[in-house]
Amino acid sequence: MNETAPAIRIETVGQDTVARDVKIDIRDLNFYYGKAPALKSVSFGVPSNAVTSIIGPSGCGKSTLLRTINRIFELYPEQRATGEIIIDGANVLDRGYSLSGLRRLVGMVFQKPTPFASSIRSNVGFALNYYDRLSKSELNDRIEDALRQAALWDEVKDKLSHSALSLSGGQQQRLCIARAIAVRPEVLLLDEATSALDPISTAKIEELIDELRERFTIVVVTHNMQQAARISQSTAFFHLGELIEFGNTSDVFTNPREQRTRDYITGRYG
Amino acid sequence: MAVPARRRAADVVAFAFASLATAFGLFWLAWILWTTLAQGAAALTPSLFTQMTPPPGASGGLLNAFYGSAVMILLAVLIGTPIGIAAGTYLAEHGRYSRLAVIVSFINDILLSAPSIVIGLFIYEVMVRSMGHFSGLAGGIALAMILLPIVVRTTEESLRLVPDQMREAGFALGMPRWRVTSRIIYRAAQSAIVTGVLLAVARIAGETAPLLFTALNNQFWSASLNEPLANVPVVIFQYAMSPYDEWHTLAWAGAFVLTAFVLVLNVGVRILARRGGNK
Repeated sequence: MNETAPAIRIETVGQDTVARDVKIDIRDLNFYYGKAPALKSVSFGVPSNAVTSIIGPSGCGKSTLLRTINRIFELYPEQRATGEIIIDGANVLDRGYSLSGLRRLVGMVFQKPTPFASSIRSNVGFALNYYDRLSKSELNDRIEDALRQAALWDEVKDKLSHSALSLSGGQQQRLCIARAIAVRPEVLLLDEATSALDPISTAKIEELIDELRERFTIVVVTHNMQQAARISQSTAFFHLGELIEFGNTSDVFTNPREQRTRDYITGRYG
Repeated sequence: MAVPARRRAADVVAFAFASLATAFGLFWLAWILWTTLAQGAAALTPSLFTQMTPPPGASGGLLNAFYGSAVMILLAVLIGTPIGIAAGTYLAEHGRYSRLAVIVSFINDILLSAPSIVIGLFIYEVMVRSMGHFSGLAGGIALAMILLPIVVRTTEESLRLVPDQMREAGFALGMPRWRVTSRIIYRAAQSAIVTGVLLAVARIAGETAPLLFTALNNQFWSASLNEPLANVPVVIFQYAMSPYDEWHTLAWAGAFVLTAFVLVLNVGVRILARRGGNK
């Protein structure tokens, strides 16, 4: 086990993290399912235009963190969050912060593909119709643009009116990504978005994530540590609701500061 | 590897019992269909659908009864379906965590199991007595009262079958609840909801008790909802109780058409549900 000079690494990690612009500044975030705490005083800054992966054993609060950032947890009355999540200078957890504004800014893709039972075109156009008064040609342009960005256009351009449910699992997931980026968000949350997919589809989506990070701030929850190492620039390791370590992905994986991180990434538990 | 003999024997026994039980159920259905068909065969002619219910001793058909039943069922669907779907939506979506939803659901259960004759008496009391006469309108409303709780329950259950992830996917796009429900959840549940409505129609098509107190019957052609209205179940009841052979035959023919209608509706619903599920 490599125990060399951890103090020096901490310095480096800290500087690198600060050097990037912070897009989502999470401050003293606590989360409760009923009375049970799921996140305990979590604070860190998600860097802008990069991929940040959230790793940790099951039940550590990874998905909870994502669900707090777009406030989707508020659908369930027994769930509660305290603290601050600052995006572009405003605390999105404020009662007064517009939910539809937040969710337009922060898109989300789920573990299982969730295509709506309608055509490919109307899946992608679904939210566009609601936000903007677009002419038919503008709408079609936006749909094409989103499908191109999601690397799906070539596969579906001739069958936009077909049911989205006729697509393969991997295509459905890219459709969900297209649907999320169609409304032009700035942040994308991916909650184990490849764990239900085969290796080839997974590789395509990883490639896509790498392309998308130029335009979006991406937060990825994953069970797959190799994936986190492959696709992310920063990594946050959670354990039992606590943020154990946050830093550059290469540092977290090759030279973690914390024993618990080391144990997890070397497969001692998880 | 060979399956042990005991397991194979258990399989054969279980299969035999399941087959026997199926045959037992189908046997009665076949017998009912055969009896109504054989007894009503003489009246199963085009005139069954083109002529009015006859006076004793004359020949005729059941046109006015079919028409009256169709009108009242349609009325029941028009009244009961929108209210039922709205209430089911409240229970499954908006009121999920509210106490009111628990109470509404409980009351709906009571309504669901209320004997249909009680509903007939209730409509008799509040409508027929105050209007001073029986009417097709009262009959349609009585049927709507029976259809309503079925639609509420099936709508609620169909909506609950839609995974929460679909809702979250809609909300995550920033859509308000009404849009998520109307554009995503209804679409995902539509074949199940339609199935529920059709099953409710099959259920009310044969209801006799609530119509005895509300629409009663009408020997003559009447298209008015404000007058007593002929209908298949009550005609079957009256003709079957009469001493006239022609009326008996007509009652059997009506019973066959009614049974066949309900059967076709149920089978159609199965096919629809299967197609919806395979999407």
